[in-house]
Amino acid sequence: MGKNVLLVDDSSTMRKIIGRSLRQAGIDFDNIYEAADGLEALEVLENESVDIVLSDINMPNMDGISFLREKASRDAIKDIPVLMISTETGDDIIGEAKALGAIGAIKKPFTPDKVNEVLGPLL
Amino acid sequence: MNVGQAIIDATTEVFSTMLMVDLEVGKTIEGRGGDIPANITSMIGLGKDIRGMLAVHCPASVAKDITGSFLGMEVTELDEDVKDAIGEIANMVAGNMKISFAEDGKAIEIAIPTTIIGDSFRTSGMFGAHRVVVPFTMNGEVFMIELKYICSNGD
Repeated sequence: MGKNVLLVDDSSTMRKIIGRSLRQAGIDFDNIYEAADGLEALEVLENESVDIVLSDINMPNMDGISFLREKASRDAIKDIPVLMISTETGDDIIGEAKALGAIGAIKKPFTPDKVNEVLGPLL
Repeated sequence: MNVGQAIIDATTEVFSTMLMVDLEVGKTIEGRGGDIPANITSMIGLGKDIRGMLAVHCPASVAKDITGSFLGMEVTELDEDVKDAIGEIANMVAGNMKISFAEDGKAIEIAIPTTIIGDSFRTSGMFGAHRVVVPFTMNGEVFMIELKYICSNGD
């Protein structure tokens, strides 16, 4: 059985770019789900089988940090790994994300090679 | 800190990494200047130690080129995809500027971009703000990155 990924970013363009980067990096998923903010992401996680989440931080409605906090409080989805993909690189906010369960971070802008370097070992 | 050079470094990195495009860099403009012609502008608010706005001003042709390169398809009109793509350019340039200012000891908070499309509009910033504009050329067409800001420590 293959793996499924959830891409969370308020930019539809960025979700397409991340999906393309995964393919260019040779990382194949059976299903690529998309969400535009943390609220939509929680709904997908509650209803679909997702193996890993790639999430932005700065988003409307529910940002990436609040998403991590809410996800951690829900037993059914709390163990699904989340990798942050964001323009945010500061130790404070990335540290907060990791404290809430994020397994790593990729800085925007990024190359497919960078995605493969960080995500590959996690799969 | 050389703010103009920081804009150049931030912008060229975004385009070379995400679009595989090497931009030509024009002469940096500081202070008040004429209107910036654009069909689409994406603005992103900055807060904390540096308060103000970073804007990406594009003619329609450049905006469609950028979006087409992002999406891997031909783009023929200024639609929601173009607004989204130019907003993401603004977001990534602002993110790189945040790193440059952090290295200079100044913290920035970045808002979510707002993008407008039109044939005749102008943007205005805070009274007394520093203003730095850098023109870039992509495929023979010019677009501009503008930063209007006030340092909270008075720099």
